[in-house]
Amino acid sequence: MANRVAIVGVGRSTQAARRPEVNDAEMINEAVRAALADAQIDINKVQAVLTNSIDGFDNFYLGDCLLVDGTGGYMKSGMKLHTGGTVGSTGAIAAFNMVASGMFDVVLTIGHQKQERGNSMGTLCAAAPGELREFVQGAIGAFAQAAVQYMKNTGATLEHAGMVRLKADKNACRNPYAHLRLGLKSIDDVAKSPILIWPLRLLDFCPQSCGACALIVASEKVAKKITRKPVWVADHETVHELQSEIVFGGDEEKSQQIAAKRLYKRNGITNPIRDIDCFELYEPSSWEELYLYEHFFLAEHNKGWKMIESGITEIEGEIPVNPSGGVLATNAIGATAMLRIAEAALQIRGDAGEHQVTRDVKTTLSSGLGGTNWTTLVLLKRSL
Amino acid sequence: MADVQKEEFIGVEILSKIPYNWSMGPYSGSLFIEMKENKKIWGIRCPKCKKLLFPPEAMCGYCFTEVKDDWEEIGDEGTVMQFTKAGMPIFDNRTGKFAFSERPLANIQFDKGPYIMHWLEEKDMEKLHLGMRVKAVWREQGRGRGYEDIMYFRIIEEKK
Amino acid sequence: MMTTKPAKPTTPIIFAGQLMLPYRFEAGRTGSRFLKELRDNKKIMGLKCAKCNKVYVPPRSTCKECFSKLDNWVEVGNEGKLLTYTVLRVTRDAERDVLKKQLPVAYGIIKLDGADTGFVHMLGEVDLDKIKVGMRVKAVFREDERKGNILDINYFKPVSKARKR
Repeated sequence: MANRVAIVGVGRSTQAARRPEVNDAEMINEAVRAALADAQIDINKVQAVLTNSIDGFDNFYLGDCLLVDGTGGYMKSGMKLHTGGTVGSTGAIAAFNMVASGMFDVVLTIGHQKQERGNSMGTLCAAAPGELREFVQGAIGAFAQAAVQYMKNTGATLEHAGMVRLKADKNACRNPYAHLRLGLKSIDDVAKSPILIWPLRLLDFCPQSCGACALIVASEKVAKKITRKPVWVADHETVHELQSEIVFGGDEEKSQQIAAKRLYKRNGITNPIRDIDCFELYEPSSWEELYLYEHFFLAEHNKGWKMIESGITEIEGEIPVNPSGGVLATNAIGATAMLRIAEAALQIRGDAGEHQVTRDVKTTLSSGLGGTNWTTLVLLKRSL
Repeated sequence: MADVQKEEFIGVEILSKIPYNWSMGPYSGSLFIEMKENKKIWGIRCPKCKKLLFPPEAMCGYCFTEVKDDWEEIGDEGTVMQFTKAGMPIFDNRTGKFAFSERPLANIQFDKGPYIMHWLEEKDMEKLHLGMRVKAVWREQGRGRGYEDIMYFRIIEEKK
Repeated sequence: MMTTKPAKPTTPIIFAGQLMLPYRFEAGRTGSRFLKELRDNKKIMGLKCAKCNKVYVPPRSTCKECFSKLDNWVEVGNEGKLLTYTVLRVTRDAERDVLKKQLPVAYGIIKLDGADTGFVHMLGEVDLDKIKVGMRVKAVFREDERKGNILDINYFKPVSKARKR
């Protein structure tokens, strides 16, 4: 990277199914003020503002223009990014690139979505070409189909998905910024939820939330002046797949594996379990977390389901995954991928509060997932 | 926040009606005509990497090569690789409403390799399993709207 | 086997469809207060930034220039000056369904007394040929069925001369 880049401020708004007491600009403003307070800088220090969300999911267009009073972007540089589920991380990656280029010293990047408004599944299906729209049943359809295949090919059962959900909920209950904090007691509670899309249940999936997340990204010379705990951006990677009709599952190599191979090779990571201390992964369904264990080479092919049995991915475990509660607890889609980076940064700083993992965290991996299975990866480090 | 419950917040409901006209292009256009007139499914093979592209298009997405004229019939039989069925009403973005899915949805792999996502005729989930062989059941009168010209896929024989 | 080829389209094949996507927009606490004042009290309220000495109408929670949080509500007058306007003459559904007005209809940007921002609304009880930039206009509220939206003001009508304050 040309110039070193650090995350110096992290801000999160509270997340809920509905937030009628604030409009979009006000909700974003919560996250922005929190990030500025965390970085202990004034809005005047920010040189560029990136707003990131997916227009169709909440019918809010032209966010970079319409949200200026909330973002603090008045008369400043900046742009809007709009991808799919990855947009929060893509917005963060764009900010990293802007600072690494040397053209900016301090960039504010914001991910947001207000999903009380509409039906994100309806708009997600709308992304399919016209002749497919009747058949695509959204991301949930793709997850359910992949789960059926996975259960046939491995020893995984619905109970394993329940274990993932239980872990996510336990972690979310320790995170005041999580949306769903249900207090589930056992996997039976998961089994009792209604079948959303056979054989998957409602609790096998993430909620739809309203919320925002903001990151303040700075160059090395500014970062060292304003904070004692800069979180360094070591590397990032983005890989797209071809739109195909097997989105999840199947035996072909996925974008996650390609992205991980490239990132690990560039950074000398030969054993991710040893070399990475904490993971914040994008798992819209509990099933996806099991596959991600495999895709990121924490478990062998078709063996991811065994990891959740052992407890090794709990907050106290050797390979903590999603100590924040993950996407299963909180999903304002525009913010979600950025929250994976924000939560990872807090873990490195030791500032995650009650959901701080037990082991010392020097290196984290955050992943994003979008559309027809694109992947983003961000590698953060306490020191470079 | 108990206050939030008692306070009155004002909102406005709107229905976005977005008409669209999707240009299918000459390759998918050929496919649509053949599905409507002849109940046939076609793909086109990439001259460089040899992958069979379905739906057919001008450019191979895998290796970024322009296709030539290597059309191949794909047939209308395949194997069920994945399937599911909605248990709760699903939002239909064509009507703007939630509705129960009538039939299961499946990812079916044609014998030559490409996938199609479509309905299964059999509604009883107990009778479904991965690896089933299925065959398309066509509309009598094709509509010229591609996949809509197939009503669903019917189980033809047990595999293994 | 390439013994046959598929038919070629003679005209472009177009797949036509329609998306129907419902949405609900929330005004938020600040926006709701503004709209409730229109509905319940026939008042137009704004938020004042003390630092910049600016009054925003419709109200915004943050001052865009100095980033202060705004919570100082002030009432602005129902009268103001017409900064600019135009006349809609082409028939479209929006005018009928949303604005609930017959065409042609004039609308413009009005600087209300006491506000520092423009306020967009329609003009009524006015001869379209006699509208002038700079003319004084006054809000005319609906007397029936106010719902808590901007159309609780029916239109702005010209007033003959500036009132002495």
